Amino acid sequence: MTALAKLTSVELKLLVREPGAMFALLIPLFILVVFGSSIEPGDTVLVPMSLAIAVGLVGLYLMPTTLATYRERGILRRLSTTPVRPGSMLVVQLILQLVLVVAACGLLLTVAGTVLGAHLPDAALPALVTFLLGTAALFAIGLLIAALAPNGRAANGIGVLLYFPMAFLAGLMQPVDQMPAILASIGRYTPLGAFRQALQDVWAGGSPSLLLWGVLAAYAVIISVAAARLFRWE
Amino acid sequence: MAVIEVTDLTKRYADLTVLNGVSFSVEDGEIFGILGPNGTGKTTTVECVEGLRRPDAGSIRVLGLDPVKDGRALREQIGVQLQHTQLPENLKVWEALDLYASFYAKPRDWRELLEQWGLADKRNARFGKLSGGQKQRLFIALALVGNPRVAFLDELTTGLDPQARRTTWELIKQVRASGVTVVLVSHFMDEVEELCDRVAVFDRGSVVAIDTPAGLIEGIDAEHQMRFTVMTENGADPAGLFDDVPGVSGVSRTGNRVVVTGRGDFATAVTARLARHHVLVSDLRIDKRTLDDAFLALTGRSFTSDN
Repeated sequence: MTALAKLTSVELKLLVREPGAMFALLIPLFILVVFGSSIEPGDTVLVPMSLAIAVGLVGLYLMPTTLATYRERGILRRLSTTPVRPGSMLVVQLILQLVLVVAACGLLLTVAGTVLGAHLPDAALPALVTFLLGTAALFAIGLLIAALAPNGRAANGIGVLLYFPMAFLAGLMQPVDQMPAILASIGRYTPLGAFRQALQDVWAGGSPSLLLWGVLAAYAVIISVAAARLFRWE
Repeated sequence: MAVIEVTDLTKRYADLTVLNGVSFSVEDGEIFGILGPNGTGKTTTVECVEGLRRPDAGSIRVLGLDPVKDGRALREQIGVQLQHTQLPENLKVWEALDLYASFYAKPRDWRELLEQWGLADKRNARFGKLSGGQKQRLFIALALVGNPRVAFLDELTTGLDPQARRTTWELIKQVRASGVTVVLVSHFMDEVEELCDRVAVFDRGSVVAIDTPAGLIEGIDAEHQMRFTVMTENGADPAGLFDDVPGVSGVSRTGNRVVVTGRGDFATAVTARLARHHVLVSDLRIDKRTLDDAFLALTGRSFTSDN
């Protein structure tokens, strides 16, 4: 087996052994099921909301904590003394966290579509584009946290500190129409808010506005560039 | 043949010069010690040699390669144990060895290393559950799994109990016997004295001496003492026998107890003189000089204080 394949399989085992990964799968599912038992058919809010929570937890919380811990423990530095570059670890982690996000969203959609009988969008392409752009934006923030946090605990703390205000502004804690107008319109252009709104537009049967897609793409590009510049291997 | 050649290595961080013209070479198949108190540039030097840091000036050749330009080719042939590194808590011992073996073109069979380093019964244990000594043995095994020609071991026995240190030393000698050149960074005098063929003594970012441990100790020209108790004088007063022995600078006698002070290897001549005059002595002691004394003589300060 090549080094990269071996690294991927070992990191996958570690991800499965990591309780945080279970949380990222189960918390959004719990929210979906608890609130989903009372939703009306044709609801376009709840499933997008739980999807945004799932991607947000992995991107803001799990990934930066893992990467910052690896740097703190000298694992990236130890790798740089072998023929394998520490960049490979970054790539493998990004792929696995993406796999986790896909698994979490797949689980949510399956439960929503079968048990809860929730509405699922007909147009696959806008849904896919929205999912990819939103995931890219939130992963970029996760990478920036990993770049800035001195250690795993700090990354964890920053992730939590960012997640709650972002989730609030994004309307993941209460419906947007119950928020003050000014907060709702600010929230609409935060990464998590734009992602939730774009998903909701897809669920409502349309294609999200190009503005929302553009906002997500801009977050993804600008924040990744900043993260790449600030990232330290040790 | 020199496997490592370092010439005039200099490294600065902002205004602080941490390495100032460091030069040394390491021969094929030896255990080369890098000795000095903490904060004297030992680790920085080794990290430049490994290609982890870029020197500001000077040249480094390892196995004929430049660690910065030929990093990838070099990393195939070296094995490294770093200070202060950990593995993921949930990684199992065998998984770590299997993973690191896959990084190299011609790895060793990691099952052999597992046996050799006494980790066979910990094969399925998670890293987080290992004792300090087991973790350290795993790190050394990981440094060797790529079948390296040169192994760099940084503070290898820190945190180990005396028994575990002895065991580790024996295994390091086996590593040398298998033909691997070992660069050992240490601030333990006894470890360096026990293991190293040659030692570079570091002080304040410079190499102050390079020699065998015995050579370093012999090289110090400090006064030391031999003491003995006279049993049978046979008519000769031992206190008056050594005035003309080269190196002897003083003799004192209290009852039957005699103390001879001198420099260099005066003790051999003193015992020969005693034998010629048929003076029987007991309880003979010669103050053993150590690398600590050598360090003091080389740097003008004691090894353990001032750091």
